[in-house]
Amino acid sequence: MVVRWLIPIGVGAASVAQVAHATQYLTVEQAQRAAFPEATTFESVRANFDAAAIGAPAGWTPRIWQARSGDKLLGWFFADAVIGKSEAIDYALALDASGAVSSLEILQYRESHGSEVRMAPWRKQFVGRTARDPVVLNEDIKNISGATLSCRHLTEGVQRLLKLREHALFVKPVS
Amino acid sequence: MQRFRIFATALLLAAPCAHADEAALQAELEALRAEVAELQAQMKQLRGEHPDAPMTAQPSASTPNASAATVASEPAASTTTLWGYGEMNYNHPTAHAADAQADLRRAVIGFSHAFDDATHVYGELEWEHAVTSAEDSGESEVEQLYVEHALAPQYGVRAGLMLVPLGLLNEHHEPTQYYGVERNFVETAIIPSTWREGGVAMYGNTDSGLSWNAGIGTGPDLGKWDPASAEGRASPLGSIHQELQLAHARDPSLFAALNWAGIPGLGVGAGLFAGKIGQGADFPGKDARLLLGEVHARWQNGPFDLSALYARGTLSDTQALNLTFLGQPTPVPKAFWGGYAQGAWRALAWNESNLSPFVRYEQFNTGAAYATQPSGFGMAALPTEKVWTAGINYYLNPNVVFKFDYQDFNRDDTALGYGDRFNLGIGYQF
Repeated sequence: MVVRWLIPIGVGAASVAQVAHATQYLTVEQAQRAAFPEATTFESVRANFDAAAIGAPAGWTPRIWQARSGDKLLGWFFADAVIGKSEAIDYALALDASGAVSSLEILQYRESHGSEVRMAPWRKQFVGRTARDPVVLNEDIKNISGATLSCRHLTEGVQRLLKLREHALFVKPVS
Repeated sequence: MQRFRIFATALLLAAPCAHADEAALQAELEALRAEVAELQAQMKQLRGEHPDAPMTAQPSASTPNASAATVASEPAASTTTLWGYGEMNYNHPTAHAADAQADLRRAVIGFSHAFDDATHVYGELEWEHAVTSAEDSGESEVEQLYVEHALAPQYGVRAGLMLVPLGLLNEHHEPTQYYGVERNFVETAIIPSTWREGGVAMYGNTDSGLSWNAGIGTGPDLGKWDPASAEGRASPLGSIHQELQLAHARDPSLFAALNWAGIPGLGVGAGLFAGKIGQGADFPGKDARLLLGEVHARWQNGPFDLSALYARGTLSDTQALNLTFLGQPTPVPKAFWGGYAQGAWRALAWNESNLSPFVRYEQFNTGAAYATQPSGFGMAALPTEKVWTAGINYYLNPNVVFKFDYQDFNRDDTALGYGDRFNLGIGYQF
């Protein structure tokens, strides 16, 4: 009985959640599975790093996972957000085991202006880049006219995560 | 979820003691299991997960919190953001130094508020020429004010006072976004930036790089045409725009724009605006129709930034109205057009700064043709204005720009301020 009572409430809440996610392209989990289809686990890890050394704002803590197939490390998966013009763009960056970008996905884009960064040809420009490559908008990464701020901030975000992977010490969280 | 587990476990424990029919109990258990599984899937959905996602993907509870600005997991709902831009310009006509002018061209405060992830209000409040009062010629205006609601990640709807989606500049008019102290002539004289109308629009984009925007709204009001003023010659549509200020709105206008950015660095697009502009008033111009179209392209590759745009407008049924304007300096044109090509080169870049020289060539004509009149009353087309602009944008950082340029006009027109000049400007955006 309790269960039956709860179903309509659950359905009602689900439709509210759907409205709130009208701007969501992918969930973190969908992006993880797309980036590492062969992974058996995604292990959440914490990064110890000097924010100033990698040019990150104080208090910046992207979510980080190590993608594994059994014991084998397949790569790294980061979920982070940057500001577009005035609101957060949620994005996910996947790096292979060597630290090179394997994919960049937009998870959620809340503003209408500048949402062209979602387009695959633009995101593909990052593939293969490592912390040792320059990743600068208008030089290494081409801009999208009319979406300059989103392009610039995402490019900076990717650069930050590449540096994080290169310089941080990763530890398993203490539970 | 815990609660259902306990409930189900209690049932399981109770089962051996029960004397009820074993098979019926088993069936009920199966049904319960199915319901619990369904609920679990729903709860995962509520948390924004995929129902099949492995639970190991969950972020650790011990991950320290950080500011909402940088962490993806923080909800961005119910946020209010402020932004702004401004520009101060100095124009110095070389042949009329006494007309040199310094002006706080505009100061703009913008804001947005997110009611939830899908629903926003955007606004821009603008002051032009520093001082607005009964004795001064400054303006204070609401430049944009609209509500936007995303219906899906790929498309949504807007309603309110919105920028018309034509050209390269109208929707992206912050001083850091264009080369040269002054906005180009084509996108001020032909496309009257900053052009906005009240209405409703749908917008969206596709994975292949197409973005589109189409709507219905207010339009210009031909009843405002002043044949005695030079304003209609400076910008035919700029002189009769309504800016949603007690706008005459008998006749709705339609607009549509299509842009493609499928190749990084390249953007091409076109836009159209059409409507009756007599606005139902009983006067000789009551049947007039406006049709304005434009095509544009921009290519940014390495240090190079090339763009080109062509716009053309026509106004129908102006013959009778122009007859009433006989002897006046500014009749209503039947056709007006303009185009430009521009090349910029980021010659030097260091830290956040760069020095970008540019050159732009424009041709435009705000009175390219007039409606045919009875013999002897015909109106000659205006000569085409041709302007070369060459200068430098010095970006101290991407959001602060100092500008210098020189403009060469093929013919002077002091009433419109056309004549060779050099310009200095400061612009910012945050």
